[in-house]
Amino acid sequence: MKRLFFLLLIIGSLSSCVAVKEYEKVNINDPDMVLSQLKIDKSETTFQSYREASSGANGGKTGGGCGCN
Amino acid sequence: MKKLIIVIAILFFGKGIAQQDSTAVYKKRVLEQTEVDFLASYYSQDGSNAAVSGGIGTEELTDVVPNFIVRMPLNDDDVLTVDLGISAYTSASSSNVDPFDSSETANPFQASSGASASDLWVNLTGTYSHSSDDRNDIWSGKLSISSEYDYFSIGFGGSYTKLFNEKNTELSLSGNIYLDTWNAIYPSELRPFVSDGDGLSNGLFTQNTITGNPNYSPVFTEFDSETRNSYSLGLSFSQIINKNLQGALLLDIVQQQGLLSTPFQRVYFNDVADSFIQDFQLADAIEQLPDSRFKIALGGRLNSYLNETFVLRSYYRYYTDDWGITSHTASLELPIKISQKFTLYPSYRYYNQTAADYFAPYETHLSTEEFYTSDYDLSEYNANQFGFGISYTDIFTKFHIWKLGLKKADVKYINYKRNTGLSANNIALGFYFVMD
Repeated sequence: MKRLFFLLLIIGSLSSCVAVKEYEKVNINDPDMVLSQLKIDKSETTFQSYREASSGANGGKTGGGCGCN
Repeated sequence: MKKLIIVIAILFFGKGIAQQDSTAVYKKRVLEQTEVDFLASYYSQDGSNAAVSGGIGTEELTDVVPNFIVRMPLNDDDVLTVDLGISAYTSASSSNVDPFDSSETANPFQASSGASASDLWVNLTGTYSHSSDDRNDIWSGKLSISSEYDYFSIGFGGSYTKLFNEKNTELSLSGNIYLDTWNAIYPSELRPFVSDGDGLSNGLFTQNTITGNPNYSPVFTEFDSETRNSYSLGLSFSQIINKNLQGALLLDIVQQQGLLSTPFQRVYFNDVADSFIQDFQLADAIEQLPDSRFKIALGGRLNSYLNETFVLRSYYRYYTDDWGITSHTASLELPIKISQKFTLYPSYRYYNQTAADYFAPYETHLSTEEFYTSDYDLSEYNANQFGFGISYTDIFTKFHIWKLGLKKADVKYINYKRNTGLSANNIALGFYFVMD
């Protein structure tokens, strides 16, 4: 319960940060700043999901769709 | 305590929502032009703990994957994405399902060159997304089909994304369902032992001499059900922290049910006498794993724009499931803009995992156990991965093929090494076009 409380607190605190205006987002909009995997990493994420027991939380496969782990 | 949490959540989220855009803005098309991505990769690996031969034998595998992705604007608000991927692979795990189908002497350290040595996996995914007029709400739906010789999958899903706090905060909820079906292929020496099989009278045993224990008697029954269903729920929260820093928290919860064992992966028991044909040990059994698995993955990304030359991309993931596996993944990538057109991408990734409760190496399991596997993908190990990539960007898309202007091209090389001996290399190419 404590963990959930702190998680909510952190999430809530972040969302209450001073908003960065659209015209200030030049650096944030840099293609290398995207919060998903880069397109070129698609095959890398796929082979990892086959070779490793864990998956998910990375924008790739979470399970299903292949005979992999 | 619960009330306190709810009050805090309402206050914070309420504040965030209250800050969302309230003024009408110029409605820009979500996607201006059709985009076409062509990705291709070549993957190769080798090791000596093949699951198909019970934890010993060659893990040699090569895989060539061309991938086409087309994103089409249907109108100002809607985008259709079609993703076609083909994976053409040759592997020891395919070939040694039947190690006796070639003229060479069967041996787990030698991939058979017979008909089972290669396969093709094809995937087609269509995604439709719709954005609201203020671009603060995005809905999407997805349908995918994949097929290979012994596996068929149909998947569908959807997501809803909400942006608020002047598009500084993003919350996304997604759900996916995969309905998969195996066409179970068993190791060739076990096929005569199916319910109506001819057992040791089969030609494999009459035309070859069984050495070691001649009274070969595997523990084998066919799987009753060959379906595998996967249900996943994803939640992501991303936040712009300041002009140069943004992060995301990602949560995936997955429930899988059905045939989670791989039908062609052999197991050798410690308490069963060994039988051989040529130099290949005959399976005592095939992998048996529980028919359900519950997984949780919690990840975080933090990207920092350090200056005009450097960006730092960092990622961490914690994973756990009810098979006893926990893992940690951490990666760093440092894009370096060496000119307006070229960027370098050095990267490092560390991964570790504990073993599944049902894993044991070659000849270690006992025949009295309920579940067993010698698949080293489910063993305890750690892995180090080094990568290096180069990217070329041309915002003016001067280079053309037909009506397609090249916007960007990437190449990336990865070297992956496990402490259990497996090593792999992957080279990926990417060409990103926009249509005139």
